[in-house]
Amino acid sequence: MRTALADLIDRIDRFARQRTLGRSIVLALAIAMAALLVANLSTFILVQRTAQFNERVDAQWQARRSGRLLLLNLKDAETSHRGYLLTGRPDFLLEYRGALTAHEAMLENFRRQIAVDNPGAAEAEEVTRLSREKIAEMNQVLELFRAGRAPDAIAQVRGGQGQALMRELDEALTDVDRRMGSEIAQATAQSEGSAAFTSVVNAIAGLLILILAGIVFLLVRRYLEDLRASQAALDRVNAGLEETVRARTAALTRANEEVQRFAYIVSHDLRSPLVNVMGYTAELEQAGKAIDLQMTKVETVAPDLIESDALTATREDIPEAVGFIRASTEKMDRLINAILKLSREGRRTLTPETLDMTVMVRRIADSVAHQLGQADAEIVVADLPELESDRLSVEQVVGNLIDNAVKYLDPKRPGHIEVRGRDVPGGWVEYEIVDNGRGISDRDHERIFELFRRAGRQDRPGEGLGLAFVRNSVRRLGGEVAVESVLGEGSTFRLKFPKRLILDEAGDPL
Amino acid sequence: MSNPVKIVMVEDDHGHAKLIEKNIRRANISNEIAHFDTGQGALDHLFSAESLANGPLLILLDLNLPDMQGTDILAEVKRDERLKRAPVVVLTTTDDKAEIQRCYDLGCNVYITKPVDYESFAAAIRQLGLFLSVMQAPVIE
Repeated sequence: MRTALADLIDRIDRFARQRTLGRSIVLALAIAMAALLVANLSTFILVQRTAQFNERVDAQWQARRSGRLLLLNLKDAETSHRGYLLTGRPDFLLEYRGALTAHEAMLENFRRQIAVDNPGAAEAEEVTRLSREKIAEMNQVLELFRAGRAPDAIAQVRGGQGQALMRELDEALTDVDRRMGSEIAQATAQSEGSAAFTSVVNAIAGLLILILAGIVFLLVRRYLEDLRASQAALDRVNAGLEETVRARTAALTRANEEVQRFAYIVSHDLRSPLVNVMGYTAELEQAGKAIDLQMTKVETVAPDLIESDALTATREDIPEAVGFIRASTEKMDRLINAILKLSREGRRTLTPETLDMTVMVRRIADSVAHQLGQADAEIVVADLPELESDRLSVEQVVGNLIDNAVKYLDPKRPGHIEVRGRDVPGGWVEYEIVDNGRGISDRDHERIFELFRRAGRQDRPGEGLGLAFVRNSVRRLGGEVAVESVLGEGSTFRLKFPKRLILDEAGDPL
Repeated sequence: MSNPVKIVMVEDDHGHAKLIEKNIRRANISNEIAHFDTGQGALDHLFSAESLANGPLLILLDLNLPDMQGTDILAEVKRDERLKRAPVVVLTTTDDKAEIQRCYDLGCNVYITKPVDYESFAAAIRQLGLFLSVMQAPVIE
């Protein structure tokens, strides 16, 4: 976990240290995001503040209104009070009482609204005190009037105490108004300031984002141009590569054709002198016989004339020399024919078709049944996957391998040959020819595929041609052949072919 | 061969030429054999006034010549109004199918592959000799 974290940090660090296009873009976008965040934050704060401010203004207006209502109510009470004093009519008194009842609720309301801070609490106390004193004064006058002492009551009203209280109350509420007014003005100014600040912040952030967007746009455009340029360069290189591949393929094809033609011509031209060697050897032999005949005749007529050296030469040396020349030329002829066969196979046109390998291999197995019976051996052919390839070549390849398996069985144990196959992912199919024959020593695993090379005891006829031919054909079919073998235990020859042989215009496998 | 048919042998290998001649003689063929080791020499002779005036011909032709292809000579001969009836025996080392077809297409009369094995070779030539001894060649006019 810690290593993962350290790794991440390390990578970020490396990323930050490298001056790359990606880093520049990420940096620009990060700054733009930060600017956007700052703008959002300041706007959010402004909105919050404005809401607070509005609430406060609203509350203050409510308080001011309550104060004014309170004063009006008290004035109503005073008016009713005066009316009663003047007329003595009880309905004025009823109004007066109603106003006093309303007053308590209004006062309570006012106090609640205004007593939210220090000056507010003091003002609330003042208004409460003044209003209570005014009510007490009015009640006192009313008591006097009711007690029949109307003149005393009037005199007290005339004394102006009530009026002064009313004026004081009015002034107190006006003070409240003024204080609140100034407070609101101050808050408004503050609010306007922060609104302006927010606007500026937003403007700067917007500008910054625009500039960064421009930078990113330029960077991306430059990047895309670079990309297009490298794409074009890549295309050019690719085109060149394809051209090179085509040229090389053509050169290889030419070289291959030349080798084929060379092998063909050489084998024909080699045959021509061989005809002479063999022909004149035969002539020599005939001549030798004629001389021998002559010698025999001379021997009987005049034995003294015969040199023993001449006799040895005619009867032993010449026939021996002729024998060796003959054996060698015959061998050479076989080898030339082998080369010719290989070169012919290399020039043959391939025609891919779908091959039922099970049927084909069983038929090949049937053709060696006789030899198998003699060698006390059996061959097992499993169900084999189909193949699309050249029939003749595949037949010859498998036939060669089965012939070899039969030819090199170990007489010490009952022979067992098995042919099996399977599809291999990637469009391949693989066949195995497994025997329990004499096996091939490790060092000969490559050699056996070479022309004229053989391995192991040379007690079977052969030119060392079969496997060279197999490898040649398999390669022509776009496949591979390999051997696994332990000397004295048996061999497994593994053939791998493309499931479908596809030829190019030149008739060679793609 | 009762009539004096002349055998024209085109063969660049002197050994082969000698062996062929030897074996033809062994088959008791005593006709005159004119040997040419280049294609041009053979053509010059075949188209000379002397050879045209000298009666029937039989051509023994090797295909691999140093200066030209034997098939070119074959084509020339078969294209010529007077020579085209002369029998041509192609006697060569090549046993390539395409080559054999081409020779017969060009009008060769017999195609024989020289066997490397001398006994077979000698036998083949002797049989050719026997064949020649009963064969009738057209008269060249």
